[in-house]
Amino acid sequence: MSFDLQKILESKRALRRHLAARPVTEKLRMLDALRERELAIRGSAVHPEASVLHEKPAPYRTRKRKG
Amino acid sequence: MNIREVITTINQMQTDGVIDQYAIGGAVGATFYLEPVATLDVDIFVTFRSDPESSLVSLQPIFDYLKARGGTVEGEYVVVAGWPVQFLPPGTPLVTEALQAAVETDVEGIRARVLTAEHLAAMALQTGRAKDKARLLQFIEAGALDAARFQAIVARNGLVDAWQKFERQFLSDAS
Repeated sequence: MSFDLQKILESKRALRRHLAARPVTEKLRMLDALRERELAIRGSAVHPEASVLHEKPAPYRTRKRKG
Repeated sequence: MNIREVITTINQMQTDGVIDQYAIGGAVGATFYLEPVATLDVDIFVTFRSDPESSLVSLQPIFDYLKARGGTVEGEYVVVAGWPVQFLPPGTPLVTEALQAAVETDVEGIRARVLTAEHLAAMALQTGRAKDKARLLQFIEAGALDAARFQAIVARNGLVDAWQKFERQFLSDAS
């Protein structure tokens, strides 16, 4: 078995193209499943939350209500 | 956990007059054009009938409406059908423009209003976090952008410098 990075990258690109071309309903179902999986993975993380480096949420520069 | 139920609820909220216009953004919005990428929340951009230009925006009517229908408030999110949903009034001219230009699409008989690919890409450029840059690259690699429309949005919204920097950083070998 040979290790051909270009072939692997092309194969990944092909998979992404294939997924992007799926009907939107199917892709939204995938999002549901991906989120459930993500939550399960986070729930089983061994590191305490405080030690994890987080990215800040998107600000979108939303104006906040005053007073 | 069902994102189509979230869309149905937001449509109903619009029909009931709680919000004026809405559009799905963020990773969920991007999924309408790209391969799905794991995300933990749903970004919904909204305008209100009362005074769309007002800087004093309260999301309380949305929270009250959804709480009355079983939603739970968790910080700045309302959990609907298992998904934390964040409602975002437009805070920049780019987001205002994006909301106006959003397109309606059909999800198995459910109407869904989604930001255009070009606006999602421009917003990713403006927000500029690592994952936003990754999303912008996804849009480019997937050929999901109308280049002329995207460039016009970039120019209109003062993002030319940011775009040139992005091009130097990530696209210099691609030409």
